[in-house]
Amino acid sequence: MVEIKNLTKFYGAHPAVQDISFTVGDREVLGFLGPNGAGKSTTMNMITGCLPSSAGTVLVDGYDIEKQPLEVKRRIGYLPELPPVYPDMRVREYLTFAAGLKGVPRPDRKKQVERAMERLSITDVQKRVIGNLSKGYRQRVGFAQALLGDPKFLILDEPTVGLDPKQVMEVRGLIRDLAKEHTIIFSTHILAEVTAVCERVVIISKGQIRAVDTIANLERSVSADTVLKLRVEGELTKVTRLIQGIEGVKEIREAEIESDGINIFTVALESEEVRKAIVTTLVSNDCMVLEINTLHANLEEVFVRLTAPTRTQTREEAFEELGRKLEADRAAELAEENDRDGGEEADS
Amino acid sequence: MFSLYKKEVQSYFYSPFAYIVSALFLLVFSLSFFYIVSTMKDSTVRFSFASVFYDNFFYFIFMIPLLTMRTFAEERKSHTETLWLSAPITVPQVVIAKFLAVATVYLLMCALSLVFPLIAWIKGSVIVSGLICGYAGFFFWGLVCIAVGILCSALTDSPILAAVLGEAAMIVLLFIDIISRTEFAKANLTLYNILAWFSLQNRFAGFAQGFFSVADLVYFITISLVVLVWTVIVIEKRRWSRG
Repeated sequence: MVEIKNLTKFYGAHPAVQDISFTVGDREVLGFLGPNGAGKSTTMNMITGCLPSSAGTVLVDGYDIEKQPLEVKRRIGYLPELPPVYPDMRVREYLTFAAGLKGVPRPDRKKQVERAMERLSITDVQKRVIGNLSKGYRQRVGFAQALLGDPKFLILDEPTVGLDPKQVMEVRGLIRDLAKEHTIIFSTHILAEVTAVCERVVIISKGQIRAVDTIANLERSVSADTVLKLRVEGELTKVTRLIQGIEGVKEIREAEIESDGINIFTVALESEEVRKAIVTTLVSNDCMVLEINTLHANLEEVFVRLTAPTRTQTREEAFEELGRKLEADRAAELAEENDRDGGEEADS
Repeated sequence: MFSLYKKEVQSYFYSPFAYIVSALFLLVFSLSFFYIVSTMKDSTVRFSFASVFYDNFFYFIFMIPLLTMRTFAEERKSHTETLWLSAPITVPQVVIAKFLAVATVYLLMCALSLVFPLIAWIKGSVIVSGLICGYAGFFFWGLVCIAVGILCSALTDSPILAAVLGEAAMIVLLFIDIISRTEFAKANLTLYNILAWFSLQNRFAGFAQGFFSVADLVYFITISLVVLVWTVIVIEKRRWSRG
């Protein structure tokens, strides 16, 4: 089990990660989701002990990363954002070295290295120099390195970056496969990946946690209102008036003309029951309901909503900024003019 | 730790690095050897390797930063340090492994230079005790320089810059002795004492002349350790501020 409590990291005065807390259970796959620069890598570096935290604790199987770093590191396999591979070494040699570094006993090294290479399907490049490999292969060598020593926990920082679509599928399959024996925390900014691989997600933005929940719960939380998509035959204004008149309808979010006399409405309802009322009202007023769909919010919406900037610029601030910019431009212009004058004088 | 040491030593021999620096070292050694042999007259005292070592070091000292420049700077540049930062190994262990690896390469270079005493032995005679003493001094002074070079490498993420810093440090090491012999330093006794105490060259001169002094040996080892501890602190400090 990995317990993260109030983890904080400051770079100077700038907070990169603020007060993050979450727990990962055994054999769980946790997606760590956030836009670029949200503090994902910083957090992962702190969990693996590469980066000391400014405050807060990380407990891995009950061991504190600050107090017993070696015990923690023995249990963790880490694939950083940039695979830590030595370009002048050969694949097999590098993995054997990494196995030694991780304290894999000498007789087991060969077996473990071979198994890791097989899992990442890099056995056929084992004799090649890493520096000559493509980015995708290098990424996989880095991944293989994380598997050595059979760590209980795998921390993967954007494991599919730089891979081609087929390899991405393979790696996702591998992560699912590894989840049977390992606890995995992996970060990504690709939503499809999270839905494809994990059960639970942590959404982080600007160094703060926005949500920790299962994917299903998150989707439900956003779509608390039932949203219907209606395809109705009838005049736009008339149908709009009719729908608005029904009790239990929150709002019409969108109205769109599909073709002559056929319109599409997106309507938010207070509850599922209102659905019936809509249909009866419309039909009894000679507006045929051609199609009716319930919309589900997907993770994408959740993500955008949770990571959207919380503070918008006020009018005054916008003016101030514009003023500053104009001043700076003016100053630059003047300086240029002076330069030119100076140059001309020197010429004459 | 042994894995890291092995990998570090190997990496020197995978690149042309160790070979070129060794060749350069032998060239310098042979030139100073040749110079001393050719200017020797019958009237001078018996030929000893002491003077060869002494002469040699002033050139050789500038080759050590070439050996050490990549130790930490390269790891930082290619982001490979996360490998050992996340492995169950401590920073002091890493520093020691790297130091020993460079020391091994250095030892091999010294071993290569044994060919000159061999030539001298075939064509004349060699004072064995003096030779051993000279080599010991040469080796231990080299260790101090290696430690300083590694420290310089830990300070930056550019191997070239690490080499330049290393060279600067070597020049300072050499000049401490020269400054301590100036009239200015001699006028101030405390300053003179401090400078003289820090002067590695004085101590090396003893070895080169065939005086094996345990105190000086301890001194060389202590200085190396202090610089290595400093390196550990630099790396730990940087770990705090990296992104």
